[in-house]
Amino acid sequence: MVVDKGKKAKFAERGEEDSDHIDGELVLSIEKLQEIQDELERVNEEASDKVLEVEQKYNEIRGPIYRKRNDIIKYIPDFWLTAFLSHPALSNLLSEEDQKIFKYLESLDVEDFKDLKSGYSITFNFSPNPYFEDRSLKKTYSFFDEGTTNITSTTIKWKEGMNTANGVAYEKNGNKRPFPEESFFSWFGETQQKSISEGFSDEVAEIIKEDLWPNPLKYFNNEADEEDFDGDEDDEEGTDFEDEDDDQADEDDS
Amino acid sequence: MVADKGKKSKVAERGEEQDSDHVDGELVLSIEKLQEIQDELEKINEEASDKVLEVEQKYNEVRRPVYIKRNEIIQSIPDFWLTAFLSHPALSDLLTEDDQKIFKYLVSLDVEDCKDVKSGYSIVFNFSPNPYFEDTKLVKTYSFTEEGTTNITGTTIKWKEGMDIANGNGHEKKGSKRPLTEESFFSWFGETELKNFSDGVTDEVAEIIKEDLWPNPLKYFNNEADEEDFDGDEDDEEGSEDDEDGDQDDDEEEDDEDDS
Repeated sequence: MVVDKGKKAKFAERGEEDSDHIDGELVLSIEKLQEIQDELERVNEEASDKVLEVEQKYNEIRGPIYRKRNDIIKYIPDFWLTAFLSHPALSNLLSEEDQKIFKYLESLDVEDFKDLKSGYSITFNFSPNPYFEDRSLKKTYSFFDEGTTNITSTTIKWKEGMNTANGVAYEKNGNKRPFPEESFFSWFGETQQKSISEGFSDEVAEIIKEDLWPNPLKYFNNEADEEDFDGDEDDEEGTDFEDEDDDQADEDDS
Repeated sequence: MVADKGKKSKVAERGEEQDSDHVDGELVLSIEKLQEIQDELEKINEEASDKVLEVEQKYNEVRRPVYIKRNEIIQSIPDFWLTAFLSHPALSDLLTEDDQKIFKYLVSLDVEDCKDVKSGYSIVFNFSPNPYFEDTKLVKTYSFTEEGTTNITGTTIKWKEGMDIANGNGHEKKGSKRPLTEESFFSWFGETELKNFSDGVTDEVAEIIKEDLWPNPLKYFNNEADEEDFDGDEDDEEGSEDDEDGDQDDDEEEDDEDDS
């Protein structure tokens, strides 16, 4: 990188009488400094590459475990619906209508691109249902080297009169809802990046990917425990108190 | 982790089959298996974090002597850090006129991570003897605990008589009314409580210095110099304004490299 020769003039203004000598020294110092920065940049790139390698390796290890997990989750009715509803942020996103649709949600899948840095996708898999034709709703985020993000998403094939995402199945019996309930499914149509000062962020995507997906059981359990806490079911094992305390102790341990 | 046995009754409510014990048993078993999977994932995640930390620790050790070499070179560039601060879009706003005078005595800046990287770091400003304070070193240290809290300590500046601009005890300038109360940059050393921001608690100044300025201060120093060249009407030995275009190309190239 060529040192800005214009600096010579700037330093000449500041320099003492032997200005050529000082100029030369300063220019040399700045050149040396630039070499150091170049060296640091190489070291930083190497470090980033090594970190990425580690993350790619562990992502490969996690893959089959997530698949195993999905198989187990199929045996737990309404697992993802329950997990969503007990997540502090996500629960607010599901309207009553959305919750009915989520009864058909079979599985959730979050998958990084193989090299990790290029992007990831979030897929909701549904069983056949009265709401839309699709079996799979997918939203994909692609990151480019220049820093831009491309978002693509399934265009939902809503069945007649079922399009809650666009407010069609809205007014029943002429009842006015107190506030317009935006459907969670409108998230699939949001493929424009919101301009947020820190750069790209789709908050819903981040919460699903970074918070819910790694450990949805944590949230599922909270929901179940809350019901036990409220409920007056006959507990075979003993008193409600003992079990609740056990539950809380377990939560603390985890 | 023992599955929540209370779920049995909850699930029994939902179960439609008559053989509810059988269904309950399956569900409890599934949840137990799921918990085992989560435990397995947690072990893997911890292992991944440890490996990533190892890489970062290793490269921090590689960088350390390079930073030391860099500091030595910077000593030969007058007002290097002052200039870099003033040409940083965020940091320049933090220096009052008085602060800038004090920064003329700033010999070097140092940002150093704890050896294990995760426990914290410190930012050190080294000054030559000056009329403002007794200290030659102003340090702010951030310590991260296992529980996730941050402990901050900062040098209590030994201001000389009438010089404490950080606490409004500086000499009043005769007849000058400042339109705003200008807060001195040096009050930052006294701020040992974390501010609350929407994305968590942070010390923004520390983050900018550590993550943005420290890795490549030359980038900002150069911008400043180029701006002066652009504005200035100095006689450029090399020739016409073509050089300024040349400078900008250099900047653009620099930016590309930084992005990669």
